[in-house]
Amino acid sequence: MAALLVGLRLRQLGRALLRSPWAIVTMVLGAVGALGLLSLLALAVTGMRAALPDAVPDALVLLGSALVVGWAVGAVLTSTDATLAPERFALLPVPARRLLPGVLLATALGVGGIATACALLLTLIGWSVAIAPLVAAMLVLPLQLLTCVLAGRAVAAVLARTLAGRRARDVVLVIGTVLLICAGLIAQGAIAALTALPDAGTAIGVLAEVLAWTPVGAAWGVPHAIASGSPLVALGQLAIALATAALLAWVWGRDFARRLTAPIVGGGGGRVRSGGWIDRMLPDSPVGAIAARGLRYRMRDPRHLVNVIGVVLLPLILVATNLLVGGDALQAGADDGGAGGMPALLPALAGLVLMSVAQLDTAYDGSALSAHVLAGVSGTTDRAGRALGIAVLYTPLLLLVCVGTIAVMGRWDLLPASLGATLGTAALVVGLGSAISVWMPGQTPAPEQSPFGRGSSGGAQALLGALLMVVAVWTVGLPVLGTAFAAMWLPWLGWVSLGLALGIGALSVWLGIRIGGRALERRWPEVLEQVSREP
Amino acid sequence: MTEPVLALRELTKRFGTKLAVDRLSLDVPHGTMFGLLGPNGAGKTTTLSMATGLLRPDAGTAIVDGADVWADPPAAKAHMGVLPDGVRMFDRLSGAELLRYHGLLRGMPERDVTARADELLAALGLAEAGSTLVVDYSAGMRKKIGLACALIHAPRLLLLDEPFEAVDPISGETIREILRGFVASGGTVVLSSHVMELVESLCDRVAIIAQGRMLATGTLDEVRQGQSLQRRFLDLVGTHALGAESLSWLRSS
Repeated sequence: MAALLVGLRLRQLGRALLRSPWAIVTMVLGAVGALGLLSLLALAVTGMRAALPDAVPDALVLLGSALVVGWAVGAVLTSTDATLAPERFALLPVPARRLLPGVLLATALGVGGIATACALLLTLIGWSVAIAPLVAAMLVLPLQLLTCVLAGRAVAAVLARTLAGRRARDVVLVIGTVLLICAGLIAQGAIAALTALPDAGTAIGVLAEVLAWTPVGAAWGVPHAIASGSPLVALGQLAIALATAALLAWVWGRDFARRLTAPIVGGGGGRVRSGGWIDRMLPDSPVGAIAARGLRYRMRDPRHLVNVIGVVLLPLILVATNLLVGGDALQAGADDGGAGGMPALLPALAGLVLMSVAQLDTAYDGSALSAHVLAGVSGTTDRAGRALGIAVLYTPLLLLVCVGTIAVMGRWDLLPASLGATLGTAALVVGLGSAISVWMPGQTPAPEQSPFGRGSSGGAQALLGALLMVVAVWTVGLPVLGTAFAAMWLPWLGWVSLGLALGIGALSVWLGIRIGGRALERRWPEVLEQVSREP
Repeated sequence: MTEPVLALRELTKRFGTKLAVDRLSLDVPHGTMFGLLGPNGAGKTTTLSMATGLLRPDAGTAIVDGADVWADPPAAKAHMGVLPDGVRMFDRLSGAELLRYHGLLRGMPERDVTARADELLAALGLAEAGSTLVVDYSAGMRKKIGLACALIHAPRLLLLDEPFEAVDPISGETIREILRGFVASGGTVVLSSHVMELVESLCDRVAIIAQGRMLATGTLDEVRQGQSLQRRFLDLVGTHALGAESLSWLRSS
């Protein structure tokens, strides 16, 4: 049974890859990214082992605990992936206990499982500070991996019934996004807090000691305790780790067995408010209708909502990080002018999120785009409606972010520069995205799928599109960004930047709609075919 | 006979090595209820997709009301209402919002859209579900809202892919009444279906296609040739006869 399920899983992964050459490019890029992260980890572990051999076990306990928590959170974020849901097996005359090992193994065979296994193998470098902890670490490594995978399954099992309703799922996804985007800030805050303590090393040591006794860190506590020469502690922590794994397995297994006979049926979300003001605000023409639909989707479809939150949060977080880390520099900058005003330009980074918003907008529709083709909507109308929908929502949001940033800095003389850089970048990106997506619509998670599931990166086409857009921002957008930057020293240049931004931005959007619209007119069926393919 | 409202000429579509539609020609005269029949994989949906502008044919033309679907799409699409099968809808809109969206996309004035949307929702028994998101609709309700979207701009030609699938008997009767009234007033309907009895009771002309080729077309009686439509269909398409030995393990004793 296990072999059958693992084979099924491998075949599913294989098929997903062989569907198009872009999928292979995407996979290669994903693998390169994962390898990059893993080599970073390898470097960190090797470096630490050489420089601070005493601190290595502590750090590894923290890493292990983070992995377990990561799996638990990841399980919630990807909870809509039903490839191995118990309900799939409900019609088979096979008891749960015969299915469980195979399902667990198949779950571990994803990208996450393989990456975790590699990461755990790399930690062995760190444990090699002495022979005894290395042997202990090798022995508990399977237990560590098992704890990770089981933590994910058990959390998903506990929350499964709650998450069956569409609205609950949407809410969880939104909270997850906020957490994910803020993860860097939280980590930075935690590190800042730790280093602010009189003795940072001791604090990490204490934290590791505590975590090693908890279910999340116990499996890493074993080699940790061996390294510090206390076999009795190691034994106690091994007991906790084993008990944790057993408990997680029991929770997951019980839920699995129950769902075989009482499957969870996805629920709806009830009625919605009509939001008639959206329709009244926009013209009752095809362009207005497409814009209004875009606005509704940005509130109701978690895949779009995630981007809206990203546009607002990303710059705010960067500003906050800047304040947290370089608070003094900022203060100094505020005093004597010059490069210290840089945070004023950070809102322009919202353009990074807008790149995928603009380019993938068509792809998010999936085969529903056929409604536009059947109604004979012209390419220009389609492009204009989408651009209008994006502009109506994002312009006020970007204005707010700029004003907020400037208010925090107290440098009102830089407001025009901030607005110029931000609105200029955004408009440039939206125009380019409108045109690019006709040839490279990119790939998005299917509707009803998690925004973090397969295809959430937009695939290779989106990466190439983003590259093109970055190049354009640094060439076509250079006058805007250059003057905005120079406004640090000569604030009146901010007005020049804002003027240039409005001019270049408007031109970009107009050209994007024109060129993209004409091309779309010729390529409707081809674009429809590309976006109808689901990952 | 006047000029056909829908004329397909030598339509051909190849997917990889598989010839999905093979030089298929078809005439649908004004004011007819036309049934498109064929086994699974016969090329019905592919043909309808090429006739409606969703899928570019490898060769051949599709003419609607004198306008070439692939040379002059706006003119051809203006008077066509389509219920496609197996494609998503903008399902994060409520039923009423989706109808309004389709109406406005067609360039209708707002007043007409609102009035017709209410009428359509009421007629199809969706008035209660008007403010529920389409994503939460059942399969039958989705078919009905899809049909309403195809009707909102009062087309002269309706192309419906499996319009009765998953629809309950009460709504099915409503849809039949709507379609009969539509044809009686001079409209034309092309629908695909697997249910022979339904086609026999509803359609006045039929076409049978299999493996992408047209096997028979004409009035219901011409195609039936005195047999039941079911019998005639099986004769034309060829039944897959079960040998005496096959599936013998399935017989319980």
